[in-house]
Amino acid sequence: MAVEKLELLILKILALGAQHGYGIGQRIEQISGGALRVTLGSLYPALQRLEKSGLIDAEWKASDNNRRARYYRITAEGRRRLAADQKEWDRVAAAMARILKAT
Amino acid sequence: MLNGLRFRWRELWQRGRLDREAQAELDLHLELAAAAKVAEGLDPAEARRQARIELGDPEEARDVLREARTGQWLDTLARDAALGLRLMKKRPAFTAVSLVSIALGVAGSTSLFAVADAVVRKPLPLPDPSALVRIYDSNVAKGVQGSGVATANLVDWRRRVHRLRGIGGHYTMGRTLTVGEESEVVLTAQVTEDFFPLLGLPAAVGRTFTAEETARSVFNVAAAPTGADPVLVLADGLWRRRFGADPGVIGRIVLLERRPFRVVGVMPPGFAIPDPDVQVFIPWGLEGDEPRDQHYVSAVARLAPGATLRQAEEELEQVARGLAEEHPRTNEGWTASLVPLQDDIVGDSGRTLFALLGAVALVLLVACANLGVLSLARGLERAHETSIRLALGATRGRLLRQYFTESLLVCAAGGVLGAFFAGLALAVLKRTSAPVPRLHEVAFEPRAVLFALMATSVAALVAGLPSAWRRAHSEAAPTLSAAPARVAGGRRRHALQDALVVAEVATTVVLLASATLLVRSYHRLQSVDPGFDPRGVVVAPIFLDMEAYGSGDKSRAYYRTLIDRLEALPGVVSAGGATALPASPLGPDFERPVWPEESPSDESVRRPVWVRMVTTHYFRTLGMRIVAGRDFNEGDAPGADRTVILGQSLARRLWPSGNAVAHRLMVDYSTSGIYPYQVVGIVNDVRFGGPRSDPRLEIYLPHAQRPYLVMNIAVRGTGDPRLLIAPVREVLHEIDPRKPAHAMQALDDLVGATYSRDRHVMAVLSAFAVVAVLLSLLGVHAILLHRVRERTREIGIRIAVGADDARLLWWIAAHGLKLTLAGVMLGGLLAAASSRAVSALLFGVGLTDPAAILAVAALPLVALVVSLHPAWRATRIDAAEVLRAG
Repeated sequence: MAVEKLELLILKILALGAQHGYGIGQRIEQISGGALRVTLGSLYPALQRLEKSGLIDAEWKASDNNRRARYYRITAEGRRRLAADQKEWDRVAAAMARILKAT
Repeated sequence: MLNGLRFRWRELWQRGRLDREAQAELDLHLELAAAAKVAEGLDPAEARRQARIELGDPEEARDVLREARTGQWLDTLARDAALGLRLMKKRPAFTAVSLVSIALGVAGSTSLFAVADAVVRKPLPLPDPSALVRIYDSNVAKGVQGSGVATANLVDWRRRVHRLRGIGGHYTMGRTLTVGEESEVVLTAQVTEDFFPLLGLPAAVGRTFTAEETARSVFNVAAAPTGADPVLVLADGLWRRRFGADPGVIGRIVLLERRPFRVVGVMPPGFAIPDPDVQVFIPWGLEGDEPRDQHYVSAVARLAPGATLRQAEEELEQVARGLAEEHPRTNEGWTASLVPLQDDIVGDSGRTLFALLGAVALVLLVACANLGVLSLARGLERAHETSIRLALGATRGRLLRQYFTESLLVCAAGGVLGAFFAGLALAVLKRTSAPVPRLHEVAFEPRAVLFALMATSVAALVAGLPSAWRRAHSEAAPTLSAAPARVAGGRRRHALQDALVVAEVATTVVLLASATLLVRSYHRLQSVDPGFDPRGVVVAPIFLDMEAYGSGDKSRAYYRTLIDRLEALPGVVSAGGATALPASPLGPDFERPVWPEESPSDESVRRPVWVRMVTTHYFRTLGMRIVAGRDFNEGDAPGADRTVILGQSLARRLWPSGNAVAHRLMVDYSTSGIYPYQVVGIVNDVRFGGPRSDPRLEIYLPHAQRPYLVMNIAVRGTGDPRLLIAPVREVLHEIDPRKPAHAMQALDDLVGATYSRDRHVMAVLSAFAVVAVLLSLLGVHAILLHRVRERTREIGIRIAVGADDARLLWWIAAHGLKLTLAGVMLGGLLAAASSRAVSALLFGVGLTDPAAILAVAALPLVALVVSLHPAWRATRIDAAEVLRAG
């Protein structure tokens, strides 16, 4: 579940624009307000899995400070998956919230 | 989706690059993180340290990435293989045994598969071979089944049966071919008009016969055709051997039986109808007044397009019934049936081959199970290593893969070696005269390679998987706490080993029982009295020709002189001749209707019997007994009363009440009329086709009264008959240099050849059984030795508390006995289940033959003896030392 959640987060971030690995890690940390921090050992395998299933695509490009970095971009299929998973996530989260409130 | 595919592609083919890219990516990530910290005010070294702590070890991340990639297994495989190679070098004996047993198993099964595949499955190398059929005549009332057909009937069938597109007749016989000054006897086939067209294979050089050439080639005696400008077609083998494969041979004149023949064509290599040994084809015109009751012609036909075998057969039967009404005297009761040509050629060899293939597969299984047992024992000894690696965090899957790779390596090497041996074995086999039809078509084809691959895979699974699985699943903790040699064995740990040994023994039992039955069957065949004594006799067919020996007087004179000269040779006891000899494939052999003179000459009493022309001294030479009356003598001359000697069965059948001698027998000798023959003697029955055949109904006529051009001569000497071959050849050459000897052989060898398949199958299966027995004993031995080694401590304690040697011996040996007995019982069931495959090959031996049961029962006893060695080792254990070490 944890892995899948990470993959969902990566897709969400890439939906906002292409990004290299470090950037993705930074975004997750920033947006979560420092609550979520990813390690190399979890981030890159997740990226590899996403690339392997064709949800994201990667390309070597020059970065802002002119370093060559591998930029990840979400594919059309990635967007479809993101939409579906996000809906599912919202549904589960809402259900969880209702259950937790009830008790 | 396409992107996903691209990644997968790179995974497989650009592993190094992916790895470098990942490294660069991770480095950059760390660098950027550190740079961010430097910007916050940390010094570079500290920033780098903190980034590493926060982000985790990049090396580990890289390993995880690498492991997750497909294609990674290739790297692992290479590492495991390297380790396997090192281990193989460390234990050369075990490796050699494994390699050799798998190589031999794969070689044996693959070569047998290749043979069986070529013989049974491969279609005949002719256009649309499935439509080709052979025609057999039968007559239920006369007890005749599967005989040849009669020429005049064949001519009528050709006209009236429309569901057969062409019916070809052929008849094979030896004839003397003279090219230049050199004469030799070659096997020739005279073939009718439809023969070549219906088979559909054109000549490789020149052409086959025209209808006109066939029509003018009329035979009056079975020697050479009359008619002007005779022509012939050569087989590929003779063309290469005698004419150096010269295409200019077309139009050349060669002599066949002293008559000039013009060569018009050469058949392509591999053309083997009617027989791969036939070297010359000559045309044969059937039109004209031909007899309908001489069933000696072989016939092939091709089904008309759209017609099924059943439909064609129905039409043929209907036509045969019509002919029986038109010609009741000759055709009453005769009908014809069809057999697919391929089935006819292959016969029951397929069954034999598959029985052998099954046997060799069993041997392969035994060999693999044995390797499985040996490596299991070894694996348990290396359990300590497994424990450590498990404790260090290796996954069981990873260990299973590594251990399996170890045995896979040996199997792969064995498989390659085996495939190589198989190719070699096939090459050798094709040069032998193994009794296998279509042997010349056998080749090491892709299907055989595929089979070798499959056999190797199965071998690898059986030999490697049990031990790899067992080893990968041994416990981590308990073994770690104890030294390796003193591991206490649990019951479950050995179940797999025991099961393998039981399976091994069971398989061996099946092979052993089958082999014993075949050996018994073979001895039974050898001890059958064939009705003649082949020992000390050498035989040779003589083919005289019409040109030089056309008249009866000349042929009579030739054989008279020949026999006299042969009997004058030193070391010769007697000599004689007959148109056809028992167990000899060459020479005219035919049936004629006969009946007692006193019975009314209606159809019901006419009985076809085999007719043989024999010289005086023939019966004496073959060691046959005159049971009543007399032998032929000089008095049975051309002008004298026609005489006949009957076979015992026929005499009993025709005159059941008493002595046939002094009665007269009518013989319908169709071409030359019906005459009464005076019965002068009765001779014992012979098994004409060898010990496997039943005696036939036979009559013998004196050659002097019925001269024949083709005779088989037999010469009985006092010593080794092979020593007579040279002097006999010399005599033949002196009498007529143009009539060379052909295929001179010891009669013993010819008789042996009639059951050479039995001999081959017996020899092969016996070898298999011996190998299987040795392997199983090795397996039992290994498992017990392992047991002793593993339980050194327990045995030490037993000795310390007073167990004597006998008790210890029994304790170890009993385990071996238990396993063997279980195997024997299981094997007995398997043998019973597979008995049908074997019983078809047996002669005069039941499946419950006492010898087979005895051989199987002896197996546990032998195993017991073998198990004494490990048991003895147990008694040598030094209790004091063991206890001190503990």
